[in-house]
Amino acid sequence: MTDEPLVATDGLSVGYGGEPVCAPVSLAMLPGTAVGLVGPNGAGKSTVLQTMVGLLPALAGTVTFAGQPVDERSADFRRAVAGVLDDDAFFPSLTGAEHLLLTARAHGVVDAEQVVADELAAFGLTERAGALPSALSSGQRRRLALAGALVRPARLLVLDEPERRLDTVMRRALADRLAALVAAGATVLFASHDPAFLDTLADAVLVVGDDECRLVEPADAVAELRED
Amino acid sequence: MAVLARTAEEWDGAAVRRFTRRATAARADTRWWTRLGDLTSGLTSAAIAVAVGGGLVSGLQEQIAARPPVPAAVLPGGLTATAVAVAVAAGLVALFARLGPVSATPGVAAWWLPLPAGRRALLRGELRRGLGLAAAVAVGVALPVALTATRTLGGVLTGLVAGGLLAVVAVGALVVRQAGSGTRWVPAAAGGVVAATLVLPPVVGCLAAAAGARVAWPAGPALPWGAAAALLLVLGAGAVLAVVRADRRLEQLSAAALRASGETVQYATASVFSLDTREIGRALRSPVRRPRRALHGRWVRRAEHAVVAGDLAVLARSPWRWGQLAVGAALPVLAARTQGLGELPALVAVAVVLGWWTAATAVGEPSRRASSAPGADRSLPLAAEVVVRCRAVVPVAVLAVVLGVSALLVGQGAGSPVAWLALGVAAAPAWAGAAVRAGYRPDLDWSGPVVSSPMGALPTGVGATLVRGPDVGVLGTVPVGLALLLGAVPWWLVAVQLGWSAALAAFAVLTSGQPD
Repeated sequence: MTDEPLVATDGLSVGYGGEPVCAPVSLAMLPGTAVGLVGPNGAGKSTVLQTMVGLLPALAGTVTFAGQPVDERSADFRRAVAGVLDDDAFFPSLTGAEHLLLTARAHGVVDAEQVVADELAAFGLTERAGALPSALSSGQRRRLALAGALVRPARLLVLDEPERRLDTVMRRALADRLAALVAAGATVLFASHDPAFLDTLADAVLVVGDDECRLVEPADAVAELRED
Repeated sequence: MAVLARTAEEWDGAAVRRFTRRATAARADTRWWTRLGDLTSGLTSAAIAVAVGGGLVSGLQEQIAARPPVPAAVLPGGLTATAVAVAVAAGLVALFARLGPVSATPGVAAWWLPLPAGRRALLRGELRRGLGLAAAVAVGVALPVALTATRTLGGVLTGLVAGGLLAVVAVGALVVRQAGSGTRWVPAAAGGVVAATLVLPPVVGCLAAAAGARVAWPAGPALPWGAAAALLLVLGAGAVLAVVRADRRLEQLSAAALRASGETVQYATASVFSLDTREIGRALRSPVRRPRRALHGRWVRRAEHAVVAGDLAVLARSPWRWGQLAVGAALPVLAARTQGLGELPALVAVAVVLGWWTAATAVGEPSRRASSAPGADRSLPLAAEVVVRCRAVVPVAVLAVVLGVSALLVGQGAGSPVAWLALGVAAAPAWAGAAVRAGYRPDLDWSGPVVSSPMGALPTGVGATLVRGPDVGVLGTVPVGLALLLGAVPWWLVAVQLGWSAALAAFAVLTSGQPD
């Protein structure tokens, strides 16, 4: 593991129409670590995530990836970063398996068909592999979106409430899998309301708020969430 | 993911597009005879539209030629046609800027844009579609102008091709801006051009008529063959340059801009298919900015005052609506001052209805907002019908000024100016009622029985719902139409207009928010 942060923000202010939605964020994530974002609904967690991957312009401050300012127009950046932020958008006439195959092949994955089949199995979608998105349930579409982020190589995974619309067993399996990936060197940045997910995955937790965004120990954040 | 291996070969944009296209085609009817049928049907529709449009313009020209000239109609037809064409073109530029011009559907945004494949190859199809659409629309806009300016086939064809090429240049330039500093300022600038091109000619026309002069405009001699070819060559070169530059800049388009445009396109498309004109307006509305000054409302003493103060604030903070009011007042004057149009009272009456409906739409903004988001109104200690009545106050006040000035200028040189002014002011309540009635129009009921139409299945009562609002305005303009036919405004007609307008306004306000 290197001491150079993979992702770093310095006084990053995020928001819409020039209005910040939360306090500025300063954060440095080393490779092979996982940081969870917590905060009440509307605190600005999703906005922070979208700004950190270049989908929203920063109001102030900086965000860098591998030492370079984040620019999602760069193919290298897109090659390195996978995300599930807007999970309910699909091509209406492509099946679930075709969505994953498209992603895997476009990323140059070896033996793409087998990888797709494994990913469909991991998310319990094998039986629905040939179904169009309109024929999938809300939970199945969510799992397909998550599979799309995991069917390709990435140095950084950015997930907005990955536990949403998953049952308890699938949540636990996903958290364990992400933890194994972190142990293998991947970096995960995620927002969550689930104490168990944070407990399993996070090395640190960023509490997003109006007055201050502060890093806390996962145990403290988990305890606070369980109290709520 | 992180532990997955890569091959040396990632798919490029063309391969991604090919895969998506083939997978889509596998589930679509892409047999050649189906495509041929679609193409034939499209070409036939276009040919019918061109023939009908050309016939109408030609017929009008003959009618106009047979009429005796009106002294106050001092603007040459060519000038007015050019002004209208420029205004329509500017409106289209604003529309294309709001829609991208290049955009990403939600599927593209979620599954194509995060891929390492180059965006130039991925988005080339979108660019082609935008350019093709712009060129087709421009040809449609250029047709009446070309027919007005020339009667030769070569001249008309030159005009159509020039229009199409200009559209390609404009869209190419917009894409370059979209990939650079953005096109956010373009709709406002284009709106300014629309207002200027539609307001300035009538102002000039009224001044000239007052001075007893006629406005000069080049008669439009047939362009020599060589000059026409040179013009098309220059425009063609410009179009090629614009397309090449736009294509190169596709790589620089940000996912954020593409997603935002895609959402606007999706919203607008859904509004078109659901036949909800109010939703189309909302979809294409520019983002609201934070006002520089807070609303103090020191004169607000009662809940009724709060409604009026809120409506005033909505209008005061919408510069787009001010331009709309100016255009609404100017359109009838433009028709009345134009040689050919001014001689035909029916055409001026149509322009009056179009212009005044444009103005009424501007002042109907608070009603439309309140109808789509009624929460604020419900928090007031007022009955719903009282709120609707209060919502008519600002439209009546604003339209009294706008319609009064408009009617005064339309009637220039045709009897008492004061009577024309009074006639316009008297028509204001009807159009204010129309604005409120249209704003509170119920949504189309798609849950009930549908009827078959060339545009597909439509809910029953669609016509009655869509004309709810303009119907009152059109009825309220009947006395104005009578004045145009008479060429003067007797005072009894002003009294009739006032009574008729007040009755229609009362009907519109009392029935707003209620089902038919």
